[in-house]
Amino acid sequence: MTTQAPAPTHQTTTRSRLPRINRRAQFARRARRADLLVTLLWASGAAAAALYLAYGGASQMTTVAGFITGLGILLGLVGTDFILVMLVLAARIPLLDRTIGHDRAVATHRRLGKPALYLILAHGVLLLIGYGMSTGFNPIAEIGPMLALPDMPLAFIGTGLLIAVVVTSLVAVRRKFSYEGWHLVHLLSYVAVAFALPHQLSVGGVLAEGTVQRVYWIALYVLAFGSILTFRFVEPIVATLRHGITVAGVTQIAPGVTSIHLKGSKLRSLGTAGGQFFIWRFWTPRTWWHSHPISLSAVPTDTTARITVRDLGAGSRRISSVPAGTRVSIEGPYGLFTDAARTAPKMAIVAAGVGVTPVRALLEHAIFAPGEATVLLRASSDDETYLWDEVRAIAAAKGARLYTMVGRRSPVGPSWMPEEDARRGVTLRSIFPDLGDSDLYLCGPTTWLDLVEADARALGLPEHQIHAERFDW
Amino acid sequence: MRTRAVLSSIFASLGVLVIGWQAGNAAVQSATTATSTTTPTTTTTGGSSGTSPSGTSTGSNTTTSTGTTTAAPVAPTTGATDGTYAGSTVNTRFGPVQVQVTISSGAITDVTALQLTNTDGRSVQISNYASPILAQEVLSSQSAQVSNVGGATYTSQAYLQSLQSALDQAGF
Repeated sequence: MTTQAPAPTHQTTTRSRLPRINRRAQFARRARRADLLVTLLWASGAAAAALYLAYGGASQMTTVAGFITGLGILLGLVGTDFILVMLVLAARIPLLDRTIGHDRAVATHRRLGKPALYLILAHGVLLLIGYGMSTGFNPIAEIGPMLALPDMPLAFIGTGLLIAVVVTSLVAVRRKFSYEGWHLVHLLSYVAVAFALPHQLSVGGVLAEGTVQRVYWIALYVLAFGSILTFRFVEPIVATLRHGITVAGVTQIAPGVTSIHLKGSKLRSLGTAGGQFFIWRFWTPRTWWHSHPISLSAVPTDTTARITVRDLGAGSRRISSVPAGTRVSIEGPYGLFTDAARTAPKMAIVAAGVGVTPVRALLEHAIFAPGEATVLLRASSDDETYLWDEVRAIAAAKGARLYTMVGRRSPVGPSWMPEEDARRGVTLRSIFPDLGDSDLYLCGPTTWLDLVEADARALGLPEHQIHAERFDW
Repeated sequence: MRTRAVLSSIFASLGVLVIGWQAGNAAVQSATTATSTTTPTTTTTGGSSGTSPSGTSTGSNTTTSTGTTTAAPVAPTTGATDGTYAGSTVNTRFGPVQVQVTISSGAITDVTALQLTNTDGRSVQISNYASPILAQEVLSSQSAQVSNVGGATYTSQAYLQSLQSALDQAGF
């Protein structure tokens, strides 16, 4: 491990220029907003059920058949509510991104997937049983009369699509798909929701005119599809046209690692914070169908931006050879791997391999006094010390302490560091003595990152002080 | 922070559910009071048909329907005027129900539904299934005193109530 201490001469001059930010108060505000969002999520499910009860749903539940039917309707409504909430979470709404971050929004979206499907399936099964009991048919025989209802065939198809979407998203199944294949199936969820809508209107009667229930459901549908349309389609198209980003040039900075230089106009107005990422699409015949979530490796100027990519798959290999002048469309900026996510006065930053890219931009953008930030860069070999020179220069200029570690993962001690350092007794605590007062930013390959994160948790670092950016989708 | 989120979620959800439940109960209560005001008419007419056995014994009137009915005792239909009568419209939470009855030679010869529960597809399906059964029962019993069709309680009750009002008009 090598060290670069900050130059002491900068200290007095820089400190006086720094705005004083109360990180803890800032975090408390963000946490309140996040808690409010969680509350809204659950309350919306409850509201779906409550509105059904408010219009006399419970009065139907007096017989066994009525109870099963009523419960079936109730579960269907809650399931639909969850699916619409999932759409909201996937819409990349800027407010959500700033509050809980893209990662947590997607994680919540994933966690809701299976419960939502189970609720919808239970809805179908219970209604078959309930209707069957009231007409004296068995549930299977009830499928016939059920399909005879208007719009029900569509609803059955919608359920089938929903099953396909959830099954292809199970971790074990998803690995067998390319991202594009999986995404294509996932887009069917819009169709599934759209196919389910008619039967809610014609069979369900939850949207009977002049009821609060009608207002609630229409509002929820408009919110879900409106935010998808706005933030997944309209806004990216507008941003792409407005900024007119094209490839200025591609430079190889190490074997298999390239920096793509981009140019455009009014890039500052995107409000990008160092450490954020965009979803990029390069419009060449071979690359246009791939979209790539890639962090900026430098804070953009008004006319230039830069990303740095490593060949991790066929897609990223192809984009490392796009010709200059290629048009680029963007979605973003996204992510909370930024200065805005800080909750504590100091910063502890650890990056491995090409994970250095957002860290390089974060360090450039973050506001801290000399000595308040410590950076640890990690590489398996000297060939993988991407952008380290730039990080060194920024660290020296802003007064951040910098450590570097090169070598394969240690078989002893903390296995996320090289054996030499592990044997010398280096620990997370010895590198970051003020860890408890710091936000820990981690970026690197998932397996390595999990180890560092576990180490930090073992030291008692609270969840909100850990900010991790993993390389996976 | 997480605890706060969990607790506020639980309280908010419970609160919303309780409000919904209360509102539902209130809605059902007002609905039941509305129907209970109309029930007296049903019971009194039911009472009059109940007294009919003594009427048949006097045999003041010859009715063709007497022979066709098997189980239920048939009203003497002294005041029954031939014609077609539309019953009152009875509102249910699944839509309005109105029945039209045709009296010929002092007997119920036809029952037609003018309006049936139709707020949603399921209601329409139930109506289509229950209506012929109810009509059949009414024709064979020659009264509105028939049992509800299973799975179609709302429709049956409203149907029979409307039918009764039509029979009252006919003086049946």
